[in-house]
Parts: sequence; structure tokens; C-alpha cells
Amino acid sequence: MLSYIARRIAYLVPTWLGITLLAFVLSALAPGDPARTYFLRAHGRQPSQAELAIVRERFGLDKPVAERYLAWVWGALRGDLGLSYSTGRPVTEELLRRLPATLQLAAAATAVTLAIGVPVGIVAALKRNSLIDQVTRGAAMLGASIPSFWLAYLLIILFSVKLGLLPALGRGGPEHLILPALTLGLGDAAVITRLTRSSVLAVLQQDYVTVARAKGLPAREVLIRHVLRNALIPTVTQLGVLFGFLIAYSAVVEVIFVWPGMGRLAVRAIFQRDYNVIQGFVVLAGTVFVLINLVVDLLYLWLDPRVTLGQSRRVEMA
Amino acid sequence: MRRFLGAAAVCGVLFAAACGGSDDGAKGRAGELAASQKLRVGAGEDAYVTEGDEANVGQYPLNANIFESLVRMTPDYEIVPALATDWEFRPPNTWRFTLRQGVRFHDGTPFTAEAVKYTFDRIARTGGGTPGLGPRSTKIVDDYTVEITPKFQNRRLVEQLVHPNYSIIAPGSDPGTKPIGTGPFRFVSYSPEEQIVVERNDDYWGEPPILDEITFRFIPEPNARRLALEAGEVDLIVDPPRESIADLEAKGFVIAESVVGAYEAMYAKITAAGGYDSVLRDRNVRLAIAHAVDRDALVEGVFEGLAAPEQTMVPSRLLGEHAEMIEGFPYDPARAEELLEQAGWTEGAGGVREKDGRPLELLLIDGFPSAQAHGAVPEFIQDQLSRVGIGVKIVKTPDSAAYEERLAAGDGDLWLEQGNQNDANPAFLPALLFWSEGLFGDIGYQPHFAPGGVFDELIVEALAHPDSDEVKRLVGEAMHVLIDQEAVVIPLAGIFRINAMTDKVQGFSPHPSGLQVRYDAVSIVR
Repeated sequence: MLSYIARRIAYLVPTWLGITLLAFVLSALAPGDPARTYFLRAHGRQPSQAELAIVRERFGLDKPVAERYLAWVWGALRGDLGLSYSTGRPVTEELLRRLPATLQLAAAATAVTLAIGVPVGIVAALKRNSLIDQVTRGAAMLGASIPSFWLAYLLIILFSVKLGLLPALGRGGPEHLILPALTLGLGDAAVITRLTRSSVLAVLQQDYVTVARAKGLPAREVLIRHVLRNALIPTVTQLGVLFGFLIAYSAVVEVIFVWPGMGRLAVRAIFQRDYNVIQGFVVLAGTVFVLINLVVDLLYLWLDPRVTLGQSRRVEMA
Repeated sequence: MRRFLGAAAVCGVLFAAACGGSDDGAKGRAGELAASQKLRVGAGEDAYVTEGDEANVGQYPLNANIFESLVRMTPDYEIVPALATDWEFRPPNTWRFTLRQGVRFHDGTPFTAEAVKYTFDRIARTGGGTPGLGPRSTKIVDDYTVEITPKFQNRRLVEQLVHPNYSIIAPGSDPGTKPIGTGPFRFVSYSPEEQIVVERNDDYWGEPPILDEITFRFIPEPNARRLALEAGEVDLIVDPPRESIADLEAKGFVIAESVVGAYEAMYAKITAAGGYDSVLRDRNVRLAIAHAVDRDALVEGVFEGLAAPEQTMVPSRLLGEHAEMIEGFPYDPARAEELLEQAGWTEGAGGVREKDGRPLELLLIDGFPSAQAHGAVPEFIQDQLSRVGIGVKIVKTPDSAAYEERLAAGDGDLWLEQGNQNDANPAFLPALLFWSEGLFGDIGYQPHFAPGGVFDELIVEALAHPDSDEVKRLVGEAMHVLIDQEAVVIPLAGIFRINAMTDKVQGFSPHPSGLQVRYDAVSIVR
């Protein structure tokens, strides 16, 4: 068990290298010069060559791309992700300061997803083709199609402007969490509803369910012990994947709700051509993603004794 | 109509001489002060630098009123004393400032020449800024006298020092860790990307402010700012979306507009630099484009009426009476077609003119600082130009980095930009962007846009002239050349700052530069 976990964590290193190389190459291909962008932001005008040279030297941008990448990788291995080209602060510090906010938002959004998606999915499956099923199917379709930036504004207009019940933006008490978590969680709830519904339906048709019913077990017990135990395994897996995606997808919601998380930082970094922050974000998000996959796999093992170590049915997603 | 200062914005354009100071508008609404004097401002994205000699928390671009410069620029672009009470030029290239006495920094340190030297030496380490401050430029004469000798001949120094980048910080301090200034408000706290909080400085050397505290919240999305105002989470916002103004007014919010301090314009590429040979080398084609745009329709249709049909680059308020030298272009599509015919561009297939088998297709680069900033302007231009037989392809650049890269390559004919006048030096923008020598050398614009000749001569003279009224005349003439004669700059609209606030906010006066807004006269009424 421990060696399995160790092996999975060791996989992180090549994963990291791959994603940093990709992030670095993509950033380097993007048009624009980080030094010019930095100067424009700090001074509000275009720099002279001499001023540009000062900025380039300060951030090591006067060195060739390959050298910068290797220096960055060497630093990253020692936990130093370099300096932000937009604020001048260490990237590690910038990211770690924002990580809790993003994780908190992702966790709350997952809770929303779980709280809505699972029960609605179960009911829809049990009452297959009923009005409830039809309505949830429509709602799920709608939920999966609404873009988050639009939903965000709708929720703010309804709950903050019209009803005055919830704060429109910022991070603070639990009430600040509700709207951004709803925005992020509702779309995924639609996915989980569909998934739960179809896997519950699939399990309901299994022979062992028929046997359980035939031997006279109460319907409740059949549902909990035989149906859900088996049907929710794919849901758990999917939730893990969704949680990982939330880290990356929260950017839009973080910008609108002024949520001080990593997504907002990453958006700004992209506009600023702040390569170090972009790479740092990718590495951190990638790490979180891989770790979540690991946790999900272990959870899977516990939920489904038929799965054994080393032949996990899941494939690395990161 | 709850729009105050709207009148001031208009009179800035039409009857500059007939209007009084724009500070008056806000004082009309008297009211009893509320018990709590805490103002919450919805500002734009947090763009402070927090490390090194460029750290500028509280200074730029959001001026949190913690710091002050030696001199200040009023909304009418006049220079008034701030931390300096007097100044004189001493040939060949030195400025002597007499400093205000009895001023203390927020930490109690007295304000003396040492602070000026500390601040300006720090700026010298980052390149010296627009004034050209070098490591040996600033000399302390005595506690309250300081001499500044820029690295290059610079008669515009005082007009440049109004910029918040040159505001004075306490000796030994670092705005990145703890901003310490002399301003009407004291620093309380800063959370990156969330907010910066300041409180009243009771020991302020001038009239102390009325507000106890200001919280500036960074809200990057204009629509989110507007909703935050509507939800009562902030009392005042900067740059609300133009399309929301009518709705906000209907809901009882107050809209405050500054005079024109920025511009929307297209720059025409007049060279073959970078291997891209623009058809706009032909002046007649440029003049045709300038005549083919209905600016009133642009202002009404695209800017929701919230821009001025002013054709300028340097704000007319800054140029004073000399702004009249810039004529601008009437909307005259017939004239445009005539000019195109003269240039040999005749009717071609699909309504696009041709010359020697080459269609008149232009690339419009949209734009600086970002495509988002220009909204539907490029599509409007595309439509207008198609009516006189000019085809336009729009290339959208998502941010300034992508735009600058495109500019470096030089592939494009019309370059759509929005620019701001942020100091009181009327020669700054033309000298930075269009003077062949370049205020800071070739910064990427010169190879494509510099017209040279008489324009250069006027700018050189303007940069070196001691009399500021004569400088305004020279710049007015230079802009006349650049716009009316050469049509290198094709102005589209004058842009003013817009703020929206609740009717409880009193005494706020917007500033055309956006960087110089002061909050010391603001209060909250019941």
C-alpha cells in the first residue's frame, strides 16, 4: 500500500516536467515581451531601451529561453519558483497565499455539486420517466450549458442586488462563499445528476438487485446496501476529477466575485506574460490534480474491494 | 438629470474660456454629515508593484491619497504648489525647488530635502522616469531647498513631476512594505487583489479630509463593479460600463464625468518599415479615411453618448486657446471619395476600390491597450470605410503585450489606440510616440508613424521652450500638422472619466487623468 502511494507520488516528477515544459513553451510562444509589459504596467508608458534593459536584467530576461527554463526547473526542484514578473514577489509565496482561497472555493463548490447532484440523480433514476425525471433532465441540460460568467451575474443580481441577502463579492464569512460556490457547483451538479441517474439505473437492472428483492429485503435496504454502494463508485471518481478541474476553472468565477484565489492570479499573469507565475500555477494545479486522483483511487479501493492495487481501472488524468 | 459635471465636460469642449473651475459642481448638494464617514470605492484591477525600487503601493495607478508630489495638477491641468511652494529654472538645466515647511510624514519624520533626494535617487535607479532623473541629479541645498538637474536638457520637468510616480516617500521607507507619505490619508492595510485601506491624516498640513477612512476594493470586471454599487457594497465606482449609465441614473445613482483627458484615435502607418508597405503612405488615402468617419454617430452609437466628438490627442483643456489650431475633420464622405479618386483608387469589384489591380484593403489593428477597451469601434470604422470603397480587415489583439508584438512587426495600416494625458506636459505624448528622435528613443512607434519635418521641429522647440503658454502654442501647431495636415493621427473621440456613486457621496470631483483624484473634500451625508 505504502509503496503504491510512493510510486504514485514519484509519478509527479515526470508529470511536472511535462507540464512545466508545456507551460514554458506555450508562454514563450505567446506574443509579447514580459519586460515591456511589466514596465507599461508600473509606469503607464512605453519604456526606453535603457529602461527595458534594467527590467530585463532584474528578472533575468536577458538570458536565452532555454537557459531560463533550466534555471527555473533547477529552482523549482528546490522549491523556488522564481520571481513574479508583475509584482516582483517570489512566485511560491504568491501561490501559497492564494491556494487556501481556491481550495476553499473548490471544496464548497464540490459540496454544492454533491448535495444537489447525488440525491436528484437517485430520485430521477428511481422515478424513471416520471415528471420529476423529465424536469431534472431538462434542468441538468440547462445547468451544464449555462456559462459560469453569466450565471455569476444572474446570481449576483438576484441575491445581492434585488434581495440583498448575500454579499456580491469578496472573501469573508461563510456568506461570501455561497454565490461563487453555487456558480461553480451548479454546472457540475448537472453532470453528477446525469451520471448518478444512469449508474443507479444500470445497477437496478443487475441480477443481484433482483435477488435481493426476491429474498424479501426491504426496498430501503436494497437501495442503500446493494444499489447505492455500487452505483456511487463512478460518482466518487467523477467528483474527484471535477474537483481537480475546479482548481483550474475557478478563474472566471474568481475574477467576477473578486475571490483572492489562484485563478485570478493566473489570469493576471497571462495578461502580464508573467511566465514564472503561469508555470508555478500550472505546477501547483497539476500537483493538486495528481494528488486528488491519488486520493480518489485510494477511496475507490476502499469502496470497491474488487479493485486491487496496481491494476486500478483509472488512468492518470494529469 | 442627476448628472453633475456633465455640463463641465461639455463646456470643456466648447467654451473652455467661459466656464469656471470644474470643482464647483460637486458642492451643490449640501446635506448633513452622516455619523460614519467611511467611503468604499470600487476601483479597477490591482496593478501595484510591491517589490524593489519600483514598488508603488498607494501611488500608481490607484492613487490612494497617501502621497503627494512636489507639485499638483488640477482638473484644469493647472500646476499648483503641493510639497514645493516655489520653483525656478536656473540655466543651463537646473530646477531649484523651495519646499513647504512644517510638513510631517505619517510616521512623524519631518519633510525635508532629504526625502526628495531619497525619492528621486530611487527613481534614478529604475531608469529615471520621464523627467530624466539621474543618480547625481538631485542635490540638497539646505533642508528646504533642493536642486534637480535632469540627465538631458528638460524644460518640462515641473509639468512631469505632477505624476504620482514622482510623489515623495519618507526617507528610508519602501512603499512595497509600508507606504509612508505626507498626504491627506494614512496607509492602514493592503491585501493584494482585494483592497487597500487608508485613514484620515489628522496632522495633514492642508485642510484635513472629512472622511475617516477609505477602502478601495479592487474589482477588475466593470459589470461586477456596477453590481457591487447596486448591491450597496461600495459607495462609488470608477469606470462603470457605459451601457449601464442610463440604468444607474434611473435607479438614483449619481454620475460624475470629468473633462476630456483621453482620446480614441487611429494611427496611420506611413512607411514601409518591417517590410509592410502600407498604402497609407499616400496622404490622400489617410485624409479620405479621416473624412469618411461620422464621429457624432460613433459617439452616440458606440460610446452611448458618453464621449465627446472632440478631435484631439492632447486634451484641449490642456492646450487652452491653442486647441483651436487643431481643426479636425468634418464628416464628408463625398470629399473622401474625391480624395480616393485623386489618389487613383477607382471603383472595383465588390464595392472595394482598386488601383493597378490591387484592392484597397486595410488592416485595422484593434488595439491598445486591448481589443476589449475599444468595444465596437473597429466594426463601426469598418462599416464607415466600406461606404467609400475601402475594405477593412480587423485584427484583434487581446492585450497590450500582443499589440506591442504586432507593432514591432509592423503589419497593419490603421492602429486603434486609447491614450491618456497623465501629466501637465502637453508635448509628452506627441514627443513619445511621433517625434522621429523619440522622447525615449525609438519605442516601436517611430518607424511606422513619425512624420518628421516641421512636426519634429515644433516638438523640439516645445520641449526646450521656457514659457509654458508658448509650449502650448507650439504643441497646438504640431498637432495641427500631425492631424489636419498629415492625418497620421486620425482622432475619433475625446474620452472622459466616468464615476458612479450613491447620492450619499458628496464633494467628489473627478479628474481627467484618473491618477490625480483627491478625496479630501469628499464626505458622506445622511
